Amino acid sequence: MVNRQVDLPEATTSRRRLIASLLAGGAVAATAPFLAGNASAADDSGPSTTAPPHRDSADNPTLNAALDRESRMAATYALAVGSAKGDDKAALLLVHDHHVAYAQALKGYLATTASSASTQPLANPSGSVAAMARQLAALEEETVAIHTSNLASLRGINAASLVASIITVEARHVAALNIIAGTSPIAVA
Amino acid sequence: MNNNTPSQLSRRNILRSGGAIVASGAVLAACGGGQHSGAIARIGSVPEIKKLETEHVTDVALLRTAMSVEKMVAVMLSDSRVTSLAESSVSPFIAKYAAAHETNLSVIAPLVTARGGQAVTEPNAKLMTAYGDNALTLVEAGKSPEDVLHLTLGLESLVAATYQYFVSLTNEAALRADMMRLGAASSRRAAVAAQLIRGGTVGFSPAINKKGEELIATLPTAFGTLSAVQVLLGPVNEVGTRAPLAMDTPSLNSMIY
Repeated sequence: MVNRQVDLPEATTSRRRLIASLLAGGAVAATAPFLAGNASAADDSGPSTTAPPHRDSADNPTLNAALDRESRMAATYALAVGSAKGDDKAALLLVHDHHVAYAQALKGYLATTASSASTQPLANPSGSVAAMARQLAALEEETVAIHTSNLASLRGINAASLVASIITVEARHVAALNIIAGTSPIAVA
Repeated sequence: MNNNTPSQLSRRNILRSGGAIVASGAVLAACGGGQHSGAIARIGSVPEIKKLETEHVTDVALLRTAMSVEKMVAVMLSDSRVTSLAESSVSPFIAKYAAAHETNLSVIAPLVTARGGQAVTEPNAKLMTAYGDNALTLVEAGKSPEDVLHLTLGLESLVAATYQYFVSLTNEAALRADMMRLGAASSRRAAVAAQLIRGGTVGFSPAINKKGEELIATLPTAFGTLSAVQVLLGPVNEVGTRAPLAMDTPSLNSMIY
Protein backbone atom coordinates (compact mmCIF):
# COMPACT_ATOMS: atom_id res chain seq x y z
CA MET A 1 0.00 0.00 0.00
CA VAL A 2 1.23 3.46 -0.82
CA ASN A 3 0.52 6.32 1.52
CA ARG A 4 0.14 9.64 -0.17
CA GLN A 5 0.36 12.99 1.48
CA VAL A 6 -2.39 15.22 0.22
CA ASP A 7 -1.79 18.94 0.49
CA LEU A 8 -5.01 20.60 1.35
CA PRO A 9 -5.77 24.08 0.11
CA GLU A 10 -5.00 26.92 2.50
CA ALA A 11 -8.67 27.62 3.09
CA THR A 12 -9.34 24.22 4.64
CA THR A 13 -8.42 23.37 8.25
CA SER A 14 -4.99 21.77 8.38
CA ARG A 15 -3.73 19.89 11.45
CA ARG A 16 -1.07 22.56 12.01
CA ARG A 17 -3.69 25.29 11.97
CA LEU A 18 -5.92 23.31 14.31
CA ILE A 19 -3.09 22.83 16.85
CA ALA A 20 -2.13 26.49 16.60
CA SER A 21 -5.73 27.53 17.22
CA LEU A 22 -6.00 25.19 20.18
CA LEU A 23 -2.79 26.59 21.69
CA ALA A 24 -4.03 30.14 21.22
CA GLY A 25 -7.37 29.22 22.75
CA GLY A 26 -5.62 27.55 25.70
CA ALA A 27 -3.51 30.62 26.31
CA VAL A 28 -6.58 32.83 26.36
CA ALA A 29 -8.36 30.42 28.71
CA ALA A 30 -5.35 30.34 31.03
CA THR A 31 -5.05 34.11 31.26
CA ALA A 32 -8.77 34.71 31.61
CA PRO A 33 -8.94 34.04 35.38
CA PHE A 34 -6.11 36.49 36.00
CA LEU A 35 -7.75 39.13 33.88
CA ALA A 36 -11.05 38.42 35.61
CA GLY A 37 -9.33 38.56 39.01
CA ASN A 38 -7.90 41.98 38.23
CA ALA A 39 -11.25 43.15 37.09
CA SER A 40 -12.99 41.98 40.25
CA ALA A 41 -10.22 43.48 42.39
CA ALA A 42 -10.83 46.79 40.71
CA ASP A 43 -14.54 46.40 41.34
CA ASP A 44 -14.10 45.54 45.05
CA SER A 45 -15.95 47.95 47.20
CA GLY A 46 -14.02 47.14 50.39
CA PRO A 47 -12.42 49.67 52.69
CA SER A 48 -9.79 51.76 51.01
CA THR A 49 -7.38 51.88 53.95
CA THR A 50 -3.67 52.01 53.27
CA ALA A 51 -1.91 48.91 54.55
CA PRO A 52 0.78 49.69 57.12
CA PRO A 53 4.38 49.08 56.01
CA HIS A 54 6.29 46.00 57.10
CA ARG A 55 9.28 48.15 58.06
CA ASP A 56 9.68 51.84 58.57
CA SER A 57 12.94 53.61 59.34
CA ALA A 58 10.97 56.14 61.38
CA ASP A 59 10.64 53.38 64.02
CA ASN A 60 14.40 53.12 64.55
CA PRO A 61 14.76 55.64 67.41
CA THR A 62 11.92 53.95 69.36
CA LEU A 63 13.39 50.51 68.73
CA ASN A 64 16.85 51.70 69.77
CA ALA A 65 15.34 52.99 73.01
CA ALA A 66 13.69 49.58 73.52
CA LEU A 67 17.03 47.89 72.85
CA ASP A 68 18.69 50.12 75.43
CA ARG A 69 15.99 49.28 77.99
CA GLU A 70 16.28 45.54 77.43
CA SER A 71 20.07 45.68 77.61
CA ARG A 72 19.86 47.48 80.94
CA MET A 73 17.25 45.02 82.22
CA ALA A 74 19.61 42.16 81.39
CA ALA A 75 22.42 43.93 83.27
CA THR A 76 20.13 44.36 86.29
CA TYR A 77 19.20 40.67 86.30
CA ALA A 78 22.87 39.75 86.05
CA LEU A 79 23.41 41.44 89.43
CA ALA A 80 20.37 39.65 90.91
CA VAL A 81 21.56 36.27 89.62
CA GLY A 82 24.89 36.83 91.38
CA SER A 83 23.12 37.26 94.72
CA ALA A 84 20.68 34.33 94.41
CA LYS A 85 21.04 30.58 95.05
CA GLY A 86 19.48 27.29 93.99
CA ASP A 87 16.09 27.39 92.26
CA ASP A 88 15.89 31.16 92.77
CA LYS A 89 19.16 31.62 90.89
CA ALA A 90 17.96 29.37 88.06
CA ALA A 91 14.67 31.28 87.82
CA LEU A 92 16.36 34.69 87.75
CA LEU A 93 18.86 33.42 85.20
CA LEU A 94 15.94 32.30 83.01
CA VAL A 95 14.40 35.79 83.11
CA HIS A 96 17.85 37.32 82.52
CA ASP A 97 18.21 35.16 79.42
CA HIS A 98 14.81 36.33 78.18
CA HIS A 99 15.97 39.95 78.33
CA VAL A 100 19.20 39.07 76.57
CA ALA A 101 17.09 37.43 73.85
CA TYR A 102 14.94 40.57 73.54
CA ALA A 103 18.00 42.78 73.20
CA GLN A 104 19.46 40.45 70.60
CA ALA A 105 16.18 40.32 68.65
CA LEU A 106 15.88 44.10 68.60
CA LYS A 107 19.53 44.45 67.63
CA GLY A 108 19.05 41.90 64.87
CA TYR A 109 15.98 43.75 63.60
CA LEU A 110 17.77 47.11 63.61
CA ALA A 111 20.93 45.59 62.10
CA THR A 112 23.26 48.37 60.97
CA THR A 113 20.98 51.05 62.39
CA ALA A 114 21.28 49.66 65.94
CA SER A 115 23.01 52.04 68.30
CA SER A 116 25.32 50.83 71.05
CA ALA A 117 23.06 49.93 73.97
CA SER A 118 23.89 50.83 77.55
CA THR A 119 24.82 48.03 79.93
CA GLN A 120 24.22 50.17 83.00
CA PRO A 121 21.92 48.31 85.45
CA LEU A 122 18.63 50.01 86.24
CA ALA A 123 18.92 49.03 89.93
CA ASN A 124 21.05 46.97 92.24
CA PRO A 125 18.74 44.22 93.52
CA SER A 126 19.80 42.91 96.89
CA GLY A 127 18.54 41.11 99.97
CA SER A 128 16.22 38.11 100.01
CA VAL A 129 14.78 36.69 96.80
CA ALA A 130 11.43 38.24 97.77
CA ALA A 131 13.04 41.67 98.12
CA MET A 132 14.84 41.32 94.80
CA ALA A 133 11.67 40.07 93.12
CA ARG A 134 9.77 43.15 94.31
CA GLN A 135 12.36 45.48 92.76
CA LEU A 136 12.51 43.47 89.56
CA ALA A 137 8.71 43.26 89.27
CA ALA A 138 8.51 47.05 89.44
CA LEU A 139 11.12 47.35 86.67
CA GLU A 140 9.28 44.76 84.56
CA GLU A 141 6.03 46.66 85.04
CA GLU A 142 7.73 49.83 83.85
CA THR A 143 9.22 48.04 80.84
CA VAL A 144 5.84 46.61 79.80
CA ALA A 145 4.32 50.10 80.06
CA ILE A 146 7.13 51.59 77.92
CA HIS A 147 6.80 48.93 75.21
CA THR A 148 3.00 49.14 75.17
CA SER A 149 3.12 52.90 74.87
CA ASN A 150 5.65 52.59 72.04
CA LEU A 151 3.30 50.28 70.14
CA ALA A 152 1.00 53.22 69.57
CA SER A 153 3.70 54.99 67.58
CA LEU A 154 5.43 52.11 65.77
CA ARG A 155 4.50 52.19 62.11
CA GLY A 156 6.12 48.98 60.84
CA ILE A 157 4.08 45.82 61.35
CA ASN A 158 7.15 43.64 61.85
CA ALA A 159 8.51 45.84 64.62
CA ALA A 160 5.09 46.00 66.28
CA SER A 161 4.79 42.20 66.14
CA LEU A 162 8.23 41.76 67.73
CA VAL A 163 7.45 44.20 70.53
CA ALA A 164 4.05 42.55 71.10
CA SER A 165 5.70 39.13 71.49
CA ILE A 166 8.03 40.66 74.11
CA ILE A 167 5.15 42.31 76.01
CA THR A 168 3.25 39.00 76.22
CA VAL A 169 6.04 37.33 78.20
CA GLU A 170 7.18 40.37 80.17
CA ALA A 171 3.64 40.65 81.53
CA ARG A 172 4.10 37.11 82.82
CA HIS A 173 7.41 38.19 84.41
CA VAL A 174 5.54 40.91 86.33
CA ALA A 175 2.93 38.52 87.73
CA ALA A 176 5.38 35.73 88.58
CA LEU A 177 7.84 38.06 90.31
CA ASN A 178 5.08 39.78 92.28
CA ILE A 179 3.96 36.40 93.62
CA ILE A 180 7.55 35.55 94.59
CA ALA A 181 7.72 38.98 96.26
CA GLY A 182 4.86 37.89 98.49
CA THR A 183 1.92 39.68 96.88
CA SER A 184 -1.32 37.72 97.14
CA PRO A 185 -1.95 35.88 93.84
CA ILE A 186 -5.56 37.09 93.75
CA ALA A 187 -4.29 40.66 93.93
CA VAL A 188 -1.81 40.01 91.12
CA ALA A 189 -4.43 38.41 88.83
CA MET B 1 6.77 2.31 -0.50
CA ASN B 2 5.20 1.62 2.76
CA ASN B 3 4.69 -1.94 3.87
CA ASN B 4 2.64 -1.20 6.98
CA THR B 5 -0.58 -3.13 7.33
CA PRO B 6 -3.50 -0.72 7.20
CA SER B 7 -4.93 -0.26 10.67
CA GLN B 8 -8.62 -0.62 11.40
CA LEU B 9 -8.36 2.50 13.51
CA SER B 10 -7.72 5.10 10.89
CA ARG B 11 -7.78 8.80 11.73
CA ARG B 12 -10.89 9.22 9.68
CA ASN B 13 -12.65 6.44 11.62
CA ILE B 14 -11.67 7.92 14.98
CA LEU B 15 -12.90 11.37 14.00
CA ARG B 16 -16.10 9.94 12.66
CA SER B 17 -16.79 7.86 15.81
CA GLY B 18 -15.82 10.76 18.05
CA GLY B 19 -18.20 13.06 16.23
CA ALA B 20 -20.98 10.53 16.57
CA ILE B 21 -20.39 10.22 20.33
CA VAL B 22 -20.38 13.97 20.81
CA ALA B 23 -23.55 14.34 18.79
CA SER B 24 -25.29 11.57 20.79
CA GLY B 25 -24.16 13.20 24.03
CA ALA B 26 -25.61 16.51 22.93
CA VAL B 27 -28.94 14.87 22.07
CA LEU B 28 -29.05 13.03 25.41
CA ALA B 29 -28.13 16.16 27.37
CA ALA B 30 -30.85 18.11 25.59
CA CYS B 31 -33.44 15.40 26.31
CA GLY B 32 -32.62 15.09 30.00
CA GLY B 33 -32.40 17.69 32.73
CA GLY B 34 -36.01 18.69 32.91
CA GLN B 35 -35.29 20.26 36.27
CA HIS B 36 -33.14 22.97 34.65
CA SER B 37 -36.11 25.03 33.68
CA GLY B 38 -35.40 27.49 30.96
CA ALA B 39 -31.69 26.70 30.70
CA ILE B 40 -30.32 25.34 27.49
CA ALA B 41 -28.59 22.08 28.32
CA ARG B 42 -25.12 21.64 27.00
CA ILE B 43 -22.26 19.24 27.46
CA GLY B 44 -20.13 20.01 30.50
CA SER B 45 -22.61 22.42 31.99
CA VAL B 46 -22.37 22.74 35.77
CA PRO B 47 -24.71 24.38 38.25
CA GLU B 48 -23.94 28.03 38.69
CA ILE B 49 -21.76 28.56 41.77
CA LYS B 50 -22.72 31.46 43.97
CA LYS B 51 -19.68 33.63 44.46
CA LEU B 52 -18.64 34.04 48.09
CA GLU B 53 -18.74 37.52 49.47
CA THR B 54 -15.35 39.19 49.76
CA GLU B 55 -14.65 39.97 53.40
CA HIS B 56 -11.91 42.24 54.66
CA VAL B 57 -9.97 41.85 57.90
CA THR B 58 -10.52 45.39 59.09
CA ASP B 59 -9.72 46.80 62.50
CA VAL B 60 -13.42 46.64 63.31
CA ALA B 61 -13.52 42.93 62.36
CA LEU B 62 -10.55 42.29 64.65
CA LEU B 63 -12.14 44.16 67.54
CA ARG B 64 -15.45 42.36 67.04
CA THR B 65 -13.62 39.03 66.96
CA ALA B 66 -11.73 39.97 70.13
CA MET B 67 -15.09 40.65 71.79
CA SER B 68 -16.37 37.24 70.73
CA VAL B 69 -13.28 35.57 72.20
CA GLU B 70 -13.55 37.53 75.46
CA LYS B 71 -17.22 36.54 75.72
CA MET B 72 -16.39 32.91 74.96
CA VAL B 73 -13.81 32.78 77.76
CA ALA B 74 -16.18 34.51 80.20
CA VAL B 75 -18.93 32.01 79.36
CA MET B 76 -16.61 29.00 79.66
CA LEU B 77 -15.20 30.10 83.00
CA SER B 78 -18.73 30.71 84.32
CA ASP B 79 -20.04 27.38 83.07
CA SER B 80 -21.43 25.20 85.84
CA ARG B 81 -19.32 22.26 84.65
CA VAL B 82 -16.23 24.33 85.53
CA THR B 83 -17.42 26.22 88.60
CA SER B 84 -18.86 23.11 90.25
CA LEU B 85 -15.48 21.36 90.02
CA ALA B 86 -13.35 24.28 91.22
CA GLU B 87 -11.88 23.96 94.69
CA SER B 88 -12.74 26.69 97.18
CA SER B 89 -9.21 28.12 96.90
CA VAL B 90 -9.54 28.37 93.12
CA SER B 91 -13.14 29.61 92.81
CA PRO B 92 -12.31 33.28 93.55
CA PHE B 93 -9.75 33.27 90.72
CA ILE B 94 -12.19 31.79 88.22
CA ALA B 95 -14.88 34.28 89.21
CA LYS B 96 -12.43 37.20 88.99
CA TYR B 97 -11.14 36.10 85.60
CA ALA B 98 -14.65 35.67 84.16
CA ALA B 99 -15.61 39.11 85.44
CA ALA B 100 -12.46 40.62 83.91
CA HIS B 101 -13.38 39.25 80.49
CA GLU B 102 -16.91 40.63 80.80
CA THR B 103 -15.39 44.00 81.72
CA ASN B 104 -13.16 43.85 78.66
CA LEU B 105 -16.29 43.71 76.50
CA SER B 106 -17.25 47.14 77.76
CA VAL B 107 -13.71 48.37 77.10
CA ILE B 108 -13.74 47.18 73.48
CA ALA B 109 -17.36 48.08 72.63
CA PRO B 110 -16.72 51.85 72.36
CA LEU B 111 -13.70 51.17 70.13
CA VAL B 112 -15.97 49.22 67.78
CA THR B 113 -18.83 51.70 67.72
CA ALA B 114 -16.46 54.65 67.28
CA ARG B 115 -15.34 53.02 64.04
CA GLY B 116 -18.85 52.43 62.76
CA GLY B 117 -19.08 48.78 63.80
CA GLN B 118 -21.54 46.91 65.94
CA ALA B 119 -20.46 45.47 69.28
CA VAL B 120 -20.57 41.69 69.72
CA THR B 121 -22.22 40.15 72.74
CA GLU B 122 -22.16 36.47 71.80
CA PRO B 123 -19.35 33.93 72.20
CA ASN B 124 -17.45 33.01 69.04
CA ALA B 125 -19.62 30.19 67.65
CA LYS B 126 -16.92 28.76 65.36
CA LEU B 127 -14.37 28.50 68.17
CA MET B 128 -16.95 27.05 70.54
CA THR B 129 -17.64 24.34 67.96
CA ALA B 130 -13.95 23.84 67.23
CA TYR B 131 -12.80 23.37 70.83
CA GLY B 132 -14.86 25.30 73.41
CA ASP B 133 -17.66 22.76 73.72
CA ASN B 134 -15.16 19.88 73.66
CA ALA B 135 -13.19 21.44 76.49
CA LEU B 136 -16.28 21.76 78.68
CA THR B 137 -17.36 18.19 77.88
CA LEU B 138 -13.90 16.88 78.78
CA VAL B 139 -13.84 18.83 82.05
CA GLU B 140 -17.24 17.39 82.96
CA ALA B 141 -16.17 13.85 82.06
CA GLY B 142 -12.83 14.10 83.86
CA LYS B 143 -14.34 15.22 87.17
CA SER B 144 -10.89 16.42 88.18
CA PRO B 145 -10.55 19.76 90.02
CA GLU B 146 -7.09 20.11 88.45
CA ASP B 147 -8.72 20.52 85.05
CA VAL B 148 -10.24 23.82 86.14
CA LEU B 149 -6.86 25.48 86.53
CA HIS B 150 -5.46 23.84 83.40
CA LEU B 151 -8.41 25.08 81.36
CA THR B 152 -8.07 28.55 82.90
CA LEU B 153 -4.37 28.69 82.06
CA GLY B 154 -5.11 27.58 78.50
CA LEU B 155 -7.88 30.12 77.99
CA GLU B 156 -5.86 33.04 79.36
CA SER B 157 -2.89 32.05 77.21
CA LEU B 158 -5.25 31.88 74.23
CA VAL B 159 -6.59 35.39 74.83
CA ALA B 160 -3.06 36.77 75.21
CA ALA B 161 -1.97 35.04 71.99
CA THR B 162 -5.07 36.34 70.19
CA TYR B 163 -4.24 39.97 70.96
CA GLN B 164 -0.59 39.42 70.10
CA TYR B 165 -1.61 37.95 66.75
CA PHE B 166 -4.05 40.77 66.07
CA VAL B 167 -1.25 43.33 66.42
CA SER B 168 0.18 41.99 63.17
CA LEU B 169 -3.19 42.53 61.41
CA THR B 170 -4.23 45.85 62.90
CA ASN B 171 -3.99 48.92 60.72
CA GLU B 172 -4.25 51.64 63.34
CA ALA B 173 -1.14 51.83 65.54
CA ALA B 174 -2.99 53.21 68.57
CA LEU B 175 -5.32 50.21 68.51
CA ARG B 176 -2.37 47.83 68.68
CA ALA B 177 -1.41 49.36 72.03
CA ASP B 178 -5.00 49.10 73.28
CA MET B 179 -5.13 45.45 72.28
CA MET B 180 -1.83 44.62 73.96
CA ARG B 181 -2.98 46.23 77.22
CA LEU B 182 -5.77 43.66 77.27
CA GLY B 183 -3.41 40.92 76.10
CA ALA B 184 -0.87 41.71 78.81
CA ALA B 185 -3.60 41.48 81.46
CA SER B 186 -4.46 37.99 80.20
CA SER B 187 -0.78 37.08 80.23
CA ARG B 188 -0.58 38.04 83.91
CA ARG B 189 -3.65 35.97 84.69
CA ALA B 190 -2.08 33.03 82.85
CA ALA B 191 1.09 33.40 84.93
CA VAL B 192 -0.93 33.41 88.15
CA ALA B 193 -2.81 30.28 87.06
CA ALA B 194 0.51 28.60 86.25
CA GLN B 195 1.87 29.56 89.67
CA LEU B 196 -1.25 28.10 91.33
CA ILE B 197 -0.53 24.81 89.55
CA ARG B 198 3.24 24.77 90.09
CA GLY B 199 4.28 27.53 92.43
CA GLY B 200 7.56 29.15 93.45
CA THR B 201 10.64 29.99 91.44
CA VAL B 202 10.99 26.29 90.60
CA GLY B 203 7.80 26.67 88.56
CA PHE B 204 9.28 29.34 86.30
CA SER B 205 11.14 26.95 84.00
CA PRO B 206 9.79 24.10 81.89
CA ALA B 207 10.53 20.65 83.39
CA ILE B 208 9.35 17.05 83.27
CA ASN B 209 8.28 14.72 86.09
CA LYS B 210 9.54 11.21 86.84
CA LYS B 211 7.09 9.75 84.33
CA GLY B 212 8.54 11.98 81.63
CA GLU B 213 5.43 14.18 81.46
CA GLU B 214 5.84 17.86 80.81
CA LEU B 215 5.10 20.07 83.82
CA ILE B 216 3.37 23.44 83.70
CA ALA B 217 5.82 26.35 83.52
CA THR B 218 5.06 29.97 84.34
CA LEU B 219 7.58 31.16 81.73
CA PRO B 220 7.62 28.43 79.07
CA THR B 221 9.08 30.60 76.29
CA ALA B 222 11.09 33.80 75.93
CA PHE B 223 8.72 35.28 73.34
CA GLY B 224 4.95 35.03 73.12
CA THR B 225 4.02 32.23 70.77
CA LEU B 226 1.18 32.06 68.27
CA SER B 227 0.98 28.28 68.01
CA ALA B 228 -2.07 26.39 69.27
CA VAL B 229 -2.43 26.32 73.05
CA GLN B 230 -2.35 22.68 74.17
CA VAL B 231 -4.32 21.65 77.26
CA LEU B 232 -4.59 18.18 78.77
CA LEU B 233 -8.15 17.65 79.98
CA GLY B 234 -10.65 14.94 80.77
CA PRO B 235 -10.53 11.39 82.09
CA VAL B 236 -7.33 9.37 82.06
CA ASN B 237 -7.47 6.86 79.22
CA GLU B 238 -6.28 3.23 79.16
CA VAL B 239 -2.67 4.30 78.44
CA GLY B 240 -2.65 6.60 81.44
CA THR B 241 -2.74 9.89 79.54
CA ARG B 242 -5.39 12.54 78.96
CA ALA B 243 -6.76 14.02 75.78
CA PRO B 244 -4.70 16.94 74.48
CA LEU B 245 -6.96 19.72 73.27
CA ALA B 246 -5.50 22.28 70.86
CA MET B 247 -6.97 25.76 71.09
CA ASP B 248 -6.11 28.03 68.18
CA THR B 249 -6.33 31.79 67.94
CA PRO B 250 -9.11 33.02 65.63
CA SER B 251 -8.36 32.71 61.95
CA LEU B 252 -10.02 34.01 58.79
CA ASN B 253 -12.87 31.50 59.06
CA SER B 254 -13.65 32.29 62.70
CA MET B 255 -13.49 36.07 62.57
CA ILE B 256 -16.61 38.16 63.10
CA TYR B 257 -16.70 40.42 60.04
